[in-house]
Amino acid sequence: MTNYINRRKFVSRTALSAAGLFVSGQIMGIPRSANLEDTLSLEYPASPYNLMKDVMKYRKLDSHVHAHLFDGGPEGNVFFADRLGIDKMYISLPAYSGEGTPKEFRSYNDLMLKCMKQYPDRLIGQFTLNAIFQKESMEEIKRCVDLGMVGLKVYTQLKINDPLFYPIIEKMIDLKMVIHMHAYAQLGLGGYRMKYNIGIRPNTSIPEDFVEVAKRYPEAMLQYAHIGGGGDWEYACKLFSKHPNIYVDTSGSNNAENMIDFAVKCLGEDRLFFGSDNCYYQSVGKILASNLTENQKKKVFFDNYNTILKKSGRNVD
Amino acid sequence: MLIDINAYVGHWPFMQLKYNTCDALHERMNKFGVDISVISNLNGIFYKNTQSANEELFEEIRSKVKFRDRFIPFAVINPIYAGWRDDLDVCISKYGFKGVRIYPKYHDFEILDPACIELVKRVRDFGLPVAFNFRMVDSRQRSWIDISNLKNNVIREWNLKNILPIIKAVPDAKYMILNFANAATLNAEELALIKNTDLIFDTSGRTITNMSDFLKNYGSNKFAFGTHSPILDYLTGLLRIESLSPGEADDTIMEMLRSGNAKKILSI
Repeated sequence: MTNYINRRKFVSRTALSAAGLFVSGQIMGIPRSANLEDTLSLEYPASPYNLMKDVMKYRKLDSHVHAHLFDGGPEGNVFFADRLGIDKMYISLPAYSGEGTPKEFRSYNDLMLKCMKQYPDRLIGQFTLNAIFQKESMEEIKRCVDLGMVGLKVYTQLKINDPLFYPIIEKMIDLKMVIHMHAYAQLGLGGYRMKYNIGIRPNTSIPEDFVEVAKRYPEAMLQYAHIGGGGDWEYACKLFSKHPNIYVDTSGSNNAENMIDFAVKCLGEDRLFFGSDNCYYQSVGKILASNLTENQKKKVFFDNYNTILKKSGRNVD
Repeated sequence: MLIDINAYVGHWPFMQLKYNTCDALHERMNKFGVDISVISNLNGIFYKNTQSANEELFEEIRSKVKFRDRFIPFAVINPIYAGWRDDLDVCISKYGFKGVRIYPKYHDFEILDPACIELVKRVRDFGLPVAFNFRMVDSRQRSWIDISNLKNNVIREWNLKNILPIIKAVPDAKYMILNFANAATLNAEELALIKNTDLIFDTSGRTITNMSDFLKNYGSNKFAFGTHSPILDYLTGLLRIESLSPGEADDTIMEMLRSGNAKKILSI
């Protein structure tokens, strides 16, 4: 029985021992097998991986994040932007509750404009509206774009394929700006296996709604919100594979291990935007843990969204 | 040194997993600097007879010498299934497993079922920890044949208050509470119970939106690095620790989070 190396060799080879902890097979408790493989290759170990160096290596544009919604004012946003090396955050405050009246959505946009003034180098606004109020929404687009906001973020007042939304899409096409809409693929939500009724937000856009609009307006740029937002990201990514004007952002609290690799496999490396939805740790962790190449990570963290911004001349240098 | 207290091998029946063998996890550990992983076999959540999964894990770990010093196996025990007491004894005394993971929702019993209480006490008497999960997967993306999370269904994702009853029932056991999800708000009495129990949370769960706040609220001795791999990505749990500033966690606390608290509860 020669399966164990002696303690002296073990100590000399292992970082565990260097760390002052001798964890032998006996201590770990697993008795040896009669047919152990590679008995002389007690290889060691763990590379000296420096996570924060990896974090700070990539410039980042956060394409989906909120202020004054989940975790307070813009100070919290900038605090985490500094912590995780996020250059700029594209903040929004959609009509998360209430009717989404013009008075409400103007006030939400005003709040984002105030954040932009407070942190002009870090925070840029995405404006919101409610297309049920057509005239006021069109006026609000002009007001917000003139004040430096760079894209649209809408919630669940209307589905993205509702005809009332068409004029908004056409305006955004003229502006060469992205249409970013809350979306989901979940049992019992908005048409997806509705026999599992979960009783919420019937106007939430589902992947099929995005596909319908993408076909109708191939020149529109559509951002499907948060594949990590808890919904079925495999379902969404598969459905979008043949629709090049649908982009997804990687935000949300779910950081399933294979999410980013799967999304790139379905959509290619140009159609993912880094986003947090204020879930900052997961947003960075899931991309760094993926098998994307350095160049692909660079694209997802920064270049892809910047390419969209460049179309309207609002890109980052 | 890094010890991951929340990793798995095995399959999830509703979604393909990557890195779900000892070989693949071992490679992952080497790539990202993790020295030791506490693992159990996911198959044990789905097999009626969980001991088959424990046997699979035992055989896999001892199949290669390189695994021996890198994995700490935990058994999966269902205390309402025949022969569980013998299974527990075999796992600990013969296989050398170092703790038990318990899945009341998947194995269909209440957390205060007398059998569950007995299991926790037996593990306690071995001087080993038991582990409970808030959830295994995000129920918003659940399969239609996974356990339901509908509003009126009794089987929903847990929050911290759902796990407190077993801690109250067996306060002198050691607990690992994994994949921190959902509400974390406790009253003073509940918080005292957590603080006075030999208990740690891992850092993989989504509720930990600001690690610094959680350290302040619960104490820096209450957390240990965990990935929830291969269901969640391998780095987010570590990022919660490594992105702490020196003002939030000094070298001593960082070492506690990376491995010290894990070593203590694992008695290694």
